[in-house]
Amino acid sequence: MKQKSFPLRRFFTPTGVCLFLLILHYTLFLVLPMLIAFVGSFHDWNPLRGTFSFTGFSHYQRLLTNELFWSSLRNTLVFSFVVIAARMILGLVIASALFSGLTRAKNFFRAAFYMPVVTPLVAVSFVWLWLYNPQFGLVNQILGTQINWLYSKSLALPAVMTMTAWKDYGYAVVLYLAGLYTLPKDCYEAARMDGASSWVQFKKITLPLLKPMSLFIFITSLIAYLQAYIQILVMTNGGPGTSTYLSSYLIYDEAFMKYKFGYASAISFAMFLLIGLLTLLSFRVNQRGENA
Amino acid sequence: MKKTMGAVLLAAALLIAGCWGGDAGKTNLKHDSTAEKGLEILGANVQFDPNVLMNNGEPIEVEFWVWDAEEIFRGIADSFSEIYPNVSIKVVSQPWQDYWTKLPLALQNGTGPAMFCIHNSQHENLVNYLQPYDIALEDLKADFSGVEGHVIDGQVYYIDYGMMSGSIFYNKDMWAAAGLNDSDIPKTWDEFASVAQKLTRYDDDGRLIQAGFNYNKDVKSMIIGLNYQKGQMMFDEDLQTLAMDNSITAENFQFLIDLYEEQGVGSKDFGISDGESFGQGQSAMVYKWGWYYNQMLSNYPDVQFGVFAVPTPSRDVPVAYDRYNGESTLGISGTADEASQEVAQAFVRYFMSNDEAMKELCLRYSIFPAKKTLVNDEDVKAHPVMKALAPNVERLVWPGPFPGVIETQMQQIFEDVVFNEMSVEETLEKGNALIVEDMQGSDFVTTERQYKYAKEMNTTR
Repeated sequence: MKQKSFPLRRFFTPTGVCLFLLILHYTLFLVLPMLIAFVGSFHDWNPLRGTFSFTGFSHYQRLLTNELFWSSLRNTLVFSFVVIAARMILGLVIASALFSGLTRAKNFFRAAFYMPVVTPLVAVSFVWLWLYNPQFGLVNQILGTQINWLYSKSLALPAVMTMTAWKDYGYAVVLYLAGLYTLPKDCYEAARMDGASSWVQFKKITLPLLKPMSLFIFITSLIAYLQAYIQILVMTNGGPGTSTYLSSYLIYDEAFMKYKFGYASAISFAMFLLIGLLTLLSFRVNQRGENA
Repeated sequence: MKKTMGAVLLAAALLIAGCWGGDAGKTNLKHDSTAEKGLEILGANVQFDPNVLMNNGEPIEVEFWVWDAEEIFRGIADSFSEIYPNVSIKVVSQPWQDYWTKLPLALQNGTGPAMFCIHNSQHENLVNYLQPYDIALEDLKADFSGVEGHVIDGQVYYIDYGMMSGSIFYNKDMWAAAGLNDSDIPKTWDEFASVAQKLTRYDDDGRLIQAGFNYNKDVKSMIIGLNYQKGQMMFDEDLQTLAMDNSITAENFQFLIDLYEEQGVGSKDFGISDGESFGQGQSAMVYKWGWYYNQMLSNYPDVQFGVFAVPTPSRDVPVAYDRYNGESTLGISGTADEASQEVAQAFVRYFMSNDEAMKELCLRYSIFPAKKTLVNDEDVKAHPVMKALAPNVERLVWPGPFPGVIETQMQQIFEDVVFNEMSVEETLEKGNALIVEDMQGSDFVTTERQYKYAKEMNTTR
């Protein structure tokens, strides 16, 4: 019996070629580096010196007992959840204000609020570095204080979080605004006929209907903030001491300052698992809410 | 059909242009057939003889990576190419941040430059990819000081062309406004504190408006030198284990803290970066290394500033004045092809036998020359930083090319003490242990016990 050969013609279609290139791209630039990093996490690995010797689980063991890893993780979680909350609340409030009939020049405001999002983070961080200057920074001039914001153990991280929330809330504004435009008007008409106040309409109709959008913003923000390090690199270098170290900054520090790529890979994988778990958890919570 | 043909032609044109561009440097080169050029042999001991053919006179282009002073190195490369019209040296400037990851990886896979600038803090990542100099050790030792510290199995891969160390930079206008003159230049730290107080200004509300002395963000450069002044070694007797968790370091930390808190000559919250604060006219004195001199001239040309030697604990000659670090000569790739290595070896000889080129670099970075013929050069002697360093050069300690992590961690330790209000002793102990952990697997061996006056120093913690 003649065996059927693979129809090559089917592969050489625009779809086939595009698909192949996409798979190739992701394999080469995503899957393969991840695999190498995973294998590297079990090795004493310094690519600059060409060392790659097996160390078993020692990096993972060190990670579990390393004080700096845990304090960085704690900082990362605080940083992520506070900035996400600020981003979502601000975004929702401003989007609602823009959506309401009270605001004029909507396009102007929409563009203005989105502008910081498209500005490079490095540039924004440098500007805020000056804003926080204890002698001639605008923040102190407005408040009439002489606080050394970025060198205070208790204020440095909140100062970086404030900058990040300011830079990123525009993203939530635009997405919430898009969500608000898609909401069915008849629900609001029915609620108004039943005598529901604006607040009740917002609480009982707007918020529940915006839930998928909120989940999307939450998850994309979580993934982004758990990997945040540029603002730390520019504004505090993890200091004072190590009090503003975030997990991704720790990875950068271990890999590119100390050239301990094996240990940095182990931290990366711990973070990968954490991000995966938190994302899964978010979906589960959302699903449970929908089922209820 | 027309579109397809157009695309094919465009792709072909790009391909040809790409191939053509890659050899552009070589095609302009001439064939050199004259070995005997009648040029003078350069150098006393390390010599460069231009009267030979390079690469048998065949055209060759080699790459040379630098992170700074591109125009100086380009000038040296151009004058080398004038001697050898068949040789083109392509000077490529890479930013410092990328340099130390790109360079070893490029050398590793054979795509790196034939020669490159080196910083000794990256010694461990580079040494496996370096080719030793084909210059006799005796010749190097005859022309340069400090060669011994760079000998590995009887060979050198780079040496120092000069020594960089710290000095006190002061603002001349503030100095005059405080009624100070040259005779007030402090010799001891007590005198220094008193001068700093005179230079400090507060407004009517008691707010600091001018710091007499500022060390913010750069204690790391100062602390090791302060320890050496009191005879405290950096490393244990095994020459590898860091031993900064000692009472002398704690004492020096406290001294710096007291300058701010007790003497009031500055504040941890005033002028967050010492170098910038001095340039902006907020601070009257800073401790900085030689590179800062040129940075001041470039970034703050209007500031009138002077330089004096680092004060010492007493007026007696100290065990040591400070730490120094060597600025390295060029590295030669061990993975480049033979022809490129031949050019690189010749270029290194040319560079090292060329006093003018060496002097230009030393003046650029305010580096005290390691080349013996330059020590008494008039331009070198007239340079303000060199003037401050020259009398003390014999008593500067080189701990060796220690990994950068030590300085970074020392800064973190100090910040933990000053900003995070942690205890000095506890933080030092913890920080030292962390550095020791980070240095595990490192081949670094200190050279501090090769210091001429090492016997006068405290060899234990």
